[in-house]
Amino acid sequence: MNPHISVKSVTKAFTKGKTTITPLENLSLDVPRGEFLSLMGPSGSGKTTLLNLIAGIDTPTSGQILIDGNDIARLTRAQLTRWRAKHVGYIFQLYHLVPILSAYENVELPLLLGKLGKSERKKKILSALDLVGLGDRADHRPSELSGGQEQRVAIARAIVHDPELLVADEPTGDLDRESADSILNLLDTLATKHGKTIVMVTHDPKASASAHRALQLEKGQFIEEGHLLTHA
Amino acid sequence: MKLLILAMKNLTRNQLRSLLTIAGVAAGMFLYASVQTMQHSLSVATQSSADDTTLVVYRENRFCPSTSRLPEHYLSTIKRIPGVKEVIPIQIAVNNCGASLDVITFRGVPPETLKQYNPGITVIDGSFDDFLNRTDGALVGQHLAERRGLSPGDKFEVVGVNVTVAGIIISDSPQDENVAYVHLPFLQQASRIGLGIVTQFNVKVDSSDQLQTISDKIDETFKADQQPTNTRPEKAFFAETAKQMIELIGFTRWLGLGAVFAVLGLVANAVLLIVRGRVKETAILQTLGFSRLAIGVIVVIEGVLLGLIGGLVGVIGAMSFFKLKAFTLGNEGLTLALTPSSSVTISGLGVAMALGLLASLYPAWKATSRPLVESLNA
Repeated sequence: MNPHISVKSVTKAFTKGKTTITPLENLSLDVPRGEFLSLMGPSGSGKTTLLNLIAGIDTPTSGQILIDGNDIARLTRAQLTRWRAKHVGYIFQLYHLVPILSAYENVELPLLLGKLGKSERKKKILSALDLVGLGDRADHRPSELSGGQEQRVAIARAIVHDPELLVADEPTGDLDRESADSILNLLDTLATKHGKTIVMVTHDPKASASAHRALQLEKGQFIEEGHLLTHA
Repeated sequence: MKLLILAMKNLTRNQLRSLLTIAGVAAGMFLYASVQTMQHSLSVATQSSADDTTLVVYRENRFCPSTSRLPEHYLSTIKRIPGVKEVIPIQIAVNNCGASLDVITFRGVPPETLKQYNPGITVIDGSFDDFLNRTDGALVGQHLAERRGLSPGDKFEVVGVNVTVAGIIISDSPQDENVAYVHLPFLQQASRIGLGIVTQFNVKVDSSDQLQTISDKIDETFKADQQPTNTRPEKAFFAETAKQMIELIGFTRWLGLGAVFAVLGLVANAVLLIVRGRVKETAILQTLGFSRLAIGVIVVIEGVLLGLIGGLVGVIGAMSFFKLKAFTLGNEGLTLALTPSSSVTISGLGVAMALGLLASLYPAWKATSRPLVESLNA
C-alpha cells in the first residue's frame, strides 16, 4: 500500500545574508495513512521546516514530497494554496484564532473558500465543534475561552473541511498538562477513529509519547526512530 | 459577500483607529464637496446652453450696478427689435458691491410685468396681490428669506431702502431666490437714483440662435446715444462681470485637489497600519487556504469601506451645511447661490470610494507579497 506522505531526498536551503543555511539535507520519510507521527528535536534541527514542506506552506530546494502520489513540490504558490484549502488542516502552537470572530466564525473560515451554502456550513461547523467538545461554546470569542478551549477551536477549524492530513506545530506547547493531555487524546482520536494522518512537531517527550511513532531530528537528519505504539 | 462581512468585522477590531480615519476622511471629503458645490453652482450660472434665450443690456464700460445707468425709455425701442419676446427694465440696489457672502440685492421691476416676464416665479408664502397693492411690497427669494429669517409681513431695511415682505418666492432661475423684487418707481426713489433711470434691461428673445444678432442690434441702436449699451447673453454677462469671484472660486479647485490627496494619504496610511498589524493573521488565513487574491480583496474592501463611510459623512455633512446656511456669494450686484446638488453628492461618494480603492492597492499588494513562512515567523 502506498504511503500517504512520501518525502524523497528532500533538501531545503536558504540564504541569510551571505550565509547559506541548510535545515534539511537529502531527507526521506514515509508516513502511512492514519498514522499519528511526532517529530522531535532541538531548535534548528529542521522539524518545523519539514512540517511546513509537508503542509505545502514552503517548497523544497530539491527532492519530492508526494502526498497521495502527487508531488506538491512542483506546484505553484497559487496551486499550493488551493491544495492546502482542500487537503490540509494546520494547528498552531498559539492557536491563532481571529480575536474579533466567535468560535463558530473562526471554524467557519476554511469553509468560506468553498461553495457550501449557509445551512451546510452550519452543519459542518457544529459537527466539528461537537467533536472537540465545544458545541456549547460556539458563540464565545477567543478572549472568553481558556487556552485549552482555544486550541480545541483551532483543531475544529483544522478539521471542519475534512482534510486527510493534519499538521500540528507544538500544539500543546502553550498549555498546562491537563489541557495538553486532552488535546493529545483528541489528536489520537482523529487519527485512529477518523483516519486522519497527523504530523506533529513537539519538544515535549510526553506529547511525543502519545504519537504512534516518534522521529528525532538533528541538523536536518533523522537520528533515531522512536516507539511504535499500538492504540486501541 | 463573505469577504465583505469579514472585512467589516476587521474594521471594528480597532474602533478608535477606524473612527479617527473615518473622521479624517469625512473632513477631507467635506472640503472636497464644498469646493465642488461652489464649482458646480458657478458652472450652472455661467455655462450657456441651447435653452438660454436671455440677454442683459448694461451700460457700456460699466461693471457695477451703481454706475450702470440707462434711460428707462430704451424699453420701447428694444421692444420693437424683431425677435425680442419680452423686455423688463430693472433697477438694482445692493448692500455691497464687492465680494460678499451675504449680499442683499433689490431688483426694482414694473410689478405688473414681473409675472409676464418671469412665469417661473411661484409665491410659496404670502401673496402676489399684496406685492402689487403695496408700493413698498417685496417678493423675497427663498434663500434670502432663510438667510435673514424673513416671513410675510416683516419689514426690513438695507442701504436705506425700507420694504415690507409681501411674499416668499421660489423660481426656475437660481438668481431669483437670492434677491428681493420691489416696485421699480419705489426703488428709483428710495435709492435716490431718480425716476426714469434703470441699471439694466433683461431681454428675452424668441430663440437662442438669435442671441448674437439681437445683442448686436441693440448695441448698434444705442451706439450714438449718450448712454451706449453693452448687451450680452445672461450667463456670459455673469461670467464677465463676476470675473473676480470666478477667479477666486477657480482657485478653490486646488483646495479640493489638496483634500483629495489628504484623504488618499490618510486611508493609505490607515490601511497600511492595519496590514502591518496583521502580518501573522494574514499568513494564518493563507495557511488555511485563502488565496492572495482573497486576502487582497479583504484589504481593498476595508480601504473602500473607510473611504465610503468617511465620504458619506463628509459629503452629506457638506450638503446639509450648504442647505442649512443657504450661502450666497455676491459680487458687483450679481449673486451666486451655493446650492447643494445631487450630482455633487454622487460624484463625491464616487471619489471617496475610488480613493479608498486606490489607497488600499499598495497595502493589499504588501499584505500578500511576503513569503508565507516568513510571515508566519513574524
